[in-house]
Amino acid sequence: MRRVLLAFLAKELSQALRDPRMRALLFIAPILQITLFGCAISTEIRNIRLASFHAPDDAEARRLTERFLSSGWFLPVPAQGSDPASLIDAGAADAVLAFPAGGLTRAMGRGEGEVQLLVEATNATKARAVEAYARSILGAAGPPRSGPGIGLDVRVLYNPSMESSAFMVPGVMGMIICLVTIVLTSMSLAREKETGTFETIIAAPLGVGEILLGKTVPFVLLGLADCVLVLLAGTALFSVPSRGPLWMLALASGVFVATTVSVGTLISTIARNQSQAMLGSFMFLFPANLLSGIMFPVENMPIAVRWVAYLDPLKYFVTLVRNIMLKGGDPWVFASNVAVLVVMAAGTAGLSYIRFRRTLE
Amino acid sequence: MSGLFSLVRASAMASKEVRHILRDPFTLGLAIGLPVLLVVFFGAAIDFNVKDIVTVIHDADRSRPSREFAEVFAASGYFRLEGPRPGDGILSRLDAEEAGAALIIPPGFASGLRSGQGAAAQFVLDGADNARAAAILSYLPGVLASANQRVLPLSGAMPEALSPASSLEGGLRLKTRFLYNHELNSRWFTIPGLSVMVLGLLAILLTALTVAREWENGSMELLLSTPVTPLEIIAGKLAPYLALSAAAMALLYLTARLGFSVPFRGSHLLFAGVSLMFLLASLSQGLLISVATRQQQLAMQLSMMTGLLPSLLLSGFIFPVESMPVFFRCFTMLLPPRWFMTACRGIFLKGAGPVELAVPLLALGLLSALLIAAAANRFKRDLEP
Repeated sequence: MRRVLLAFLAKELSQALRDPRMRALLFIAPILQITLFGCAISTEIRNIRLASFHAPDDAEARRLTERFLSSGWFLPVPAQGSDPASLIDAGAADAVLAFPAGGLTRAMGRGEGEVQLLVEATNATKARAVEAYARSILGAAGPPRSGPGIGLDVRVLYNPSMESSAFMVPGVMGMIICLVTIVLTSMSLAREKETGTFETIIAAPLGVGEILLGKTVPFVLLGLADCVLVLLAGTALFSVPSRGPLWMLALASGVFVATTVSVGTLISTIARNQSQAMLGSFMFLFPANLLSGIMFPVENMPIAVRWVAYLDPLKYFVTLVRNIMLKGGDPWVFASNVAVLVVMAAGTAGLSYIRFRRTLE
Repeated sequence: MSGLFSLVRASAMASKEVRHILRDPFTLGLAIGLPVLLVVFFGAAIDFNVKDIVTVIHDADRSRPSREFAEVFAASGYFRLEGPRPGDGILSRLDAEEAGAALIIPPGFASGLRSGQGAAAQFVLDGADNARAAAILSYLPGVLASANQRVLPLSGAMPEALSPASSLEGGLRLKTRFLYNHELNSRWFTIPGLSVMVLGLLAILLTALTVAREWENGSMELLLSTPVTPLEIIAGKLAPYLALSAAAMALLYLTARLGFSVPFRGSHLLFAGVSLMFLLASLSQGLLISVATRQQQLAMQLSMMTGLLPSLLLSGFIFPVESMPVFFRCFTMLLPPRWFMTACRGIFLKGAGPVELAVPLLALGLLSALLIAAAANRFKRDLEP
């Protein structure tokens, strides 16, 4: 490699790391974030505030309420007033159990116990979960069924206790790496244009490709360093298993970082100043995060949206990391997802090369 | 120099900022159009239900009840049954991401049912994908109940042993009423939720670069040589972006009401007030970042870190705040989107009034005041030699 290019690479790297605050943002913030999100987020709905309206001498209703509370999903709140719905209106309860007039004990004696469950449904997914919990509690509450029917022995593979950190850590790792690298690269060329130092770089004895290399390779290195940090923090703090070979993880991270850095560079070549670069990154990062499959399933989206999701590098990376860490790395999944990322990286890098050369002419 | 705050100087500052915004139509267009675009796109796309999960079926019993049992799974619409790859283990398709679940029916399934001892099938689920696994787990009780209802009569078991679905729960029937969203229309909660996230992030980004840009380009020195005070600079920088993001908010409101027919049961005045307070808090967060960093790249990195992921993951949009551990529940109180999310859902769907929303309103006001004070304070310290 030419010495000028090496010097340029070194200059870019030291420029990115010159500010101690930037160093903190690049190396400490990702660790803090993975800790925060890994601890805080769980897909299991808990602490549902439940009020139960029943007469003090209604033994069956009390027994059922006890069952709800001992399930661990519900928190008791006192049933005040006479109207169950008003408790939810006031925001004092998320769910209310209402029993038939005259008491559940007597109703069950007549063989027609109907329990009403009122659920606050401003969050539809949460409401659905509350109902599913209630059904399973009611199912277990009745007398043991006389003739055994069909039982279902459910086994959750790869993550038997549904530990949320096991799937959040790979997902959040992808989100963080994507964010850091995109922001870093998209701003770098735009800043040179804005402050006028762009002309100085053009005047240097470097080719178009070399300038682009100098503007990307340092960020790939920084992104990879972040990958290592986040991965170490994730596995050390949350004991997420890493079942696949390390080289697979390393290769997947390398290809992913190369892709995001290329996307950032493309944004940077298009943007005329830093605020445009910022909005461009926002335009990429927001959909990329939502379509990655971390927050909701992508398979059932309308076909047009799914096509957009196929363009999301984060989706492939999250698939890769989850497959490697939790499932041990299936060779076909690995090869196909890495191949897609390679094509994306090459495509965006090519586009930015063309755009960059055109701005120079 | 007269006084700490003069409206004339602040509005002069604001009009300078407005001209700055108008000079860059690309940014202006994106600031107004992007939120609507994103909310429409994702509002139409997001569906939390999972259908047609490829499920590997392994029927070792090959009896009529076992076939019927599998048929119930297929007929539910949630599962698409496919055979395992020839010559491979049953679960290898899960490893290869080709299937999300597997249904294994052991030999002796039918005879177990006939003898009255009961039978168990095994359902294996891919736990690496939370979005899918959580949905599938919630479907299973319902599917199992209808399977019992359909398969047991076929098995030739004693009639007394049958447990039809209605008495599955031991004589107890559950009637659920979903308040505020009777049909659990997921649009009704994704659209307001998405609006909160998109707008909150955009507001942070809009102001995050403003002060940093002046420092970087050297125009800050120029500004400081004028009699304008820090508080006036901050007010002048906030006002135009507040107007801009309020316009985006109004557009989002129209999209939600007209495009997605989300009901609006509360007061418009209250909604406008809460929205402005939320926007002010987010804009102030961006401004504080800008004042503190003085450098655009740093400012953007910081605002994405404190804006994007926290508002996606901690605002309560998908992962409910109440389910978080206590410490993190307290932490989310520092995030404006968390409060606005509560307020938005309350106003749109519940018709909540100022009394019910007192806490979010107070929190947003407090956050705005704190952030503005911090920015002004930081600014003053910067100016002292």
